[in-house]
Amino acid sequence: MKKLLWLAAASLAIALPAAPVFAKDEFHLYNWNNYIAPETIKRFEESCKCEVVQTYYSDNEELLAKLAAGAKGYDMLVPTSNAVEALIKGKQLKPIDKSQLPNLKNINPIYLNTPFDPGNKYSVPYAMSTTIIGYNDVKMKELGLPTDTWAVIFEPKYLEKVKGRITVLDSANELFAAALKYLGYSANDVDEKHWNEAVAVIKKARPYWAAFNASSYIKELTVGNIWLVHGYSNDIFQANLDAQAAKRAFHILQGMPKEGAVLAVDNMVIHKDAPRPDLALKFMNFMLEGKNSSELTNLIGSGNPNLEAVKYIKPEILKNPAIFPDKAVEAKLEQLKELTGAQRRLRNKLWTEIKAGR
Amino acid sequence: MRGKRRIALWIAAGAGYAFLYVPLIIVIVYSFNNSRLNAEWVGFTLNWYDTLFHDQDMIFAAGNSLAIALTASLVSTVLGTAAGVAMYRYPTKLLSVLVLAPIAIPEILMGVSLLIFFVLLNFTLGLVSVALAHIAFCIGFVAIVVRARLAGMDESLTEAARDCGASPWQTFRYITLPLIMPGVIAGALMAFTLSIDDFVITFFTAGAGTVTLPLQIYSMIKIAVTPEVNAVSSLLMLLTLALIIIASRVSPTLLRSQEDLS
Repeated sequence: MKKLLWLAAASLAIALPAAPVFAKDEFHLYNWNNYIAPETIKRFEESCKCEVVQTYYSDNEELLAKLAAGAKGYDMLVPTSNAVEALIKGKQLKPIDKSQLPNLKNINPIYLNTPFDPGNKYSVPYAMSTTIIGYNDVKMKELGLPTDTWAVIFEPKYLEKVKGRITVLDSANELFAAALKYLGYSANDVDEKHWNEAVAVIKKARPYWAAFNASSYIKELTVGNIWLVHGYSNDIFQANLDAQAAKRAFHILQGMPKEGAVLAVDNMVIHKDAPRPDLALKFMNFMLEGKNSSELTNLIGSGNPNLEAVKYIKPEILKNPAIFPDKAVEAKLEQLKELTGAQRRLRNKLWTEIKAGR
Repeated sequence: MRGKRRIALWIAAGAGYAFLYVPLIIVIVYSFNNSRLNAEWVGFTLNWYDTLFHDQDMIFAAGNSLAIALTASLVSTVLGTAAGVAMYRYPTKLLSVLVLAPIAIPEILMGVSLLIFFVLLNFTLGLVSVALAHIAFCIGFVAIVVRARLAGMDESLTEAARDCGASPWQTFRYITLPLIMPGVIAGALMAFTLSIDDFVITFFTAGAGTVTLPLQIYSMIKIAVTPEVNAVSSLLMLLTLALIIIASRVSPTLLRSQEDLS
């Protein structure tokens, strides 16, 4: 036993120096994983003479739960718009001093002053993604299927050709939004009649879908088991990078439906108990610089609300209509709003029916 | 008839072990796969281990996890052993319920309540808060194992020691403790493994910049599971296996304590 204790004590002594030493100025960023380019961090660290310490979350709900319980120590968070709204309601955020943000002018005005944070009192856009169609270019060409309309996900006449080779997101909100868009309604439509129409569309298409899949469809696409998905633009971009790295004989491309799609904008906000709000503001202004913002897009293929960033973005990403849609489609992109309690209950009930296949 | 039954038994046992170990073996094998996608076998490589050892984030997280698990298992073993002995000596219902409740409480509830507790105390979240939380949920597990060991102990031995003039402390130190040592070590090991792979409670009690291995792996899975995750899991398995072997050397009866008790 003594030996074991010594062993434990010795390994503890080795492991402890790994604990952070609080000497340098630290900036605590609570972010999504792989959501900032390493070279960007390095440059910020040099300019602010501080250390960037990142902690990660993988879901807005995780972030909300943790902050609601009172966790602190974070300077900056990067939540999606509807979570920003929840954080503002929960009085979790610090108002931004915009005089410190000269680079705010770089942001495309259509992404400012949204209903989630009128006047951008608390948030500025960071990056965005869309929920679109992802497809195997070789197979789609072979089968002669369109890739610019939700019809290919919902119409049995198209689905017949890809039966068992298509997946949709395992998310009631995303799938309802897609079906509503397909029917020509707003993704945020809350009319019960329209919801029932959406359910009918989904039920008719369901037998052709291989699965409701929100996690492994990237891999299924790159391997070639699945040819068509309803998925997130960043994931589909990643799938193509993987497919190219594995030297597949096909590409995984992004299709932006002409009916429009769901847009998710992630925003920089400062936590109310931020230990270093000064560094947070500096970081905000830094990330609003075109070059810094462009590096994330070049890394993960995220949409970019920064007009100055365009200069630095790789041409092949720039000409991708799913990441940089033309004006007509851009106008049809919608951010999802929170549902009320009653609406959520109804949606859950309909979703259960859909999943149970009744 | 007997032969048939025997074959059936072997098949059942084999299926049971296969169910437990085949997934683990697959994880290990694919950590050597020369493909970022890791969907099918491409070729043998050690590159993922190389990537892993150069991944600063991962090493930092592993260091934190080890420090927390060692602290948590040491402290909770001492406290849990004391609790186990107390539960055996004074078999009141209340005591057992108090010690064992943290085991039965859903982890998420424990995580949230600990977080709220730390916030109320204005306690800075970090490595220390995570270690404290882990100690809290490990004590119960150690106590259970130790009490089970005590239940199988021959009471007359401690009585004999007392008759020979040993103080209560001496009796515990020289008679009881050596007898229950396999239970104590088993408890410590259990605490270590529970602590090093805990996600839910750690998630809530970790502060800004506190990353442990499970938190790190989880945030990576969201993007894509590269064989680097397999590699780190394989090393974790190796560590656990090594611990069990060390423990069985230190206390040869540990792995057959049941037989030993009867």
